[in-house]
Amino acid sequence: MAASGVANSETFTVTTPSDTEIQLTRLFDAPRHLVFEAMSKPEHIKRWWGNLGDGYSVPVCEVDLRIGGKWRFVNRHPKGEAEFYGEYREIDPPGRIVFTEIYAPFPDAPSVVTATLADENGKTRLVATSNYPSKMVRDMVLQTGMEKGAAKSYDRLDEVSMQLATSR
Amino acid sequence: MTDHLSTTFYALADPTRRAILARLITGECAVTELAEPFEMSLPAVSKHLRVLERAGLITRGRSAQWRPCAINALPLKEVAEWTERYRKFWEGKFDNLELYLQELKAKEKTNGSKRRGK
Repeated sequence: MAASGVANSETFTVTTPSDTEIQLTRLFDAPRHLVFEAMSKPEHIKRWWGNLGDGYSVPVCEVDLRIGGKWRFVNRHPKGEAEFYGEYREIDPPGRIVFTEIYAPFPDAPSVVTATLADENGKTRLVATSNYPSKMVRDMVLQTGMEKGAAKSYDRLDEVSMQLATSR
Repeated sequence: MTDHLSTTFYALADPTRRAILARLITGECAVTELAEPFEMSLPAVSKHLRVLERAGLITRGRSAQWRPCAINALPLKEVAEWTERYRKFWEGKFDNLELYLQELKAKEKTNGSKRRGK
């Protein structure tokens, strides 16, 4: 049963296929072209990404959907803002998109995200694999949990970034 | 990072050690018994057991003759809790996406065409 009550919520999984990866999968009750659009067009992205309730919004959502084109999202939340940006590497609608992703406070730790969309009887299975530059960065991302109230995670990020800096 | 969780993750990062833990879920057992399914010397298995023990994932009996290994699930629970926030975060986003896709689908239907005006 879906804990959240939203359709297909129970199909969502988070796994770590290797030391440097995090993989998210979920089934969506929509055809691939719609899921692809919702993931790649700003007017759609704004509606679901970072929109986690009162006090949350996406004031910046720029997408230059070309190979080598840049993207940039800013998520405003009650405790401040979180900025993410990157570059598109592969664009193959409606089945595959590959892009780099950088969390602005850590420009030296880009991840490469490979998202594939597979048709399952009219529904779409999304598999999004983020590959981080090291196990430490991957663990850091998992540990901070990209919390809703980001203040705590920023504290932890500070800690880890200091550890990263001193371990170099 | 040499915090507790990192030690646990290090211990879990090896397939032999995960197999040992899986065996111990069914109950405590002796080192020789644990070594059986693996093509591995006893000292090699003991080395894995020390890593697991250091991470607090197993406990070993006191008896010198027969030191049975038993699983300790507490660190595993910590690992599960650790990724839980991350899981929750994306679960929320993807639930949003699912709900939004239903809106898009409905719009597409009423427009009767894949092409939608800007």
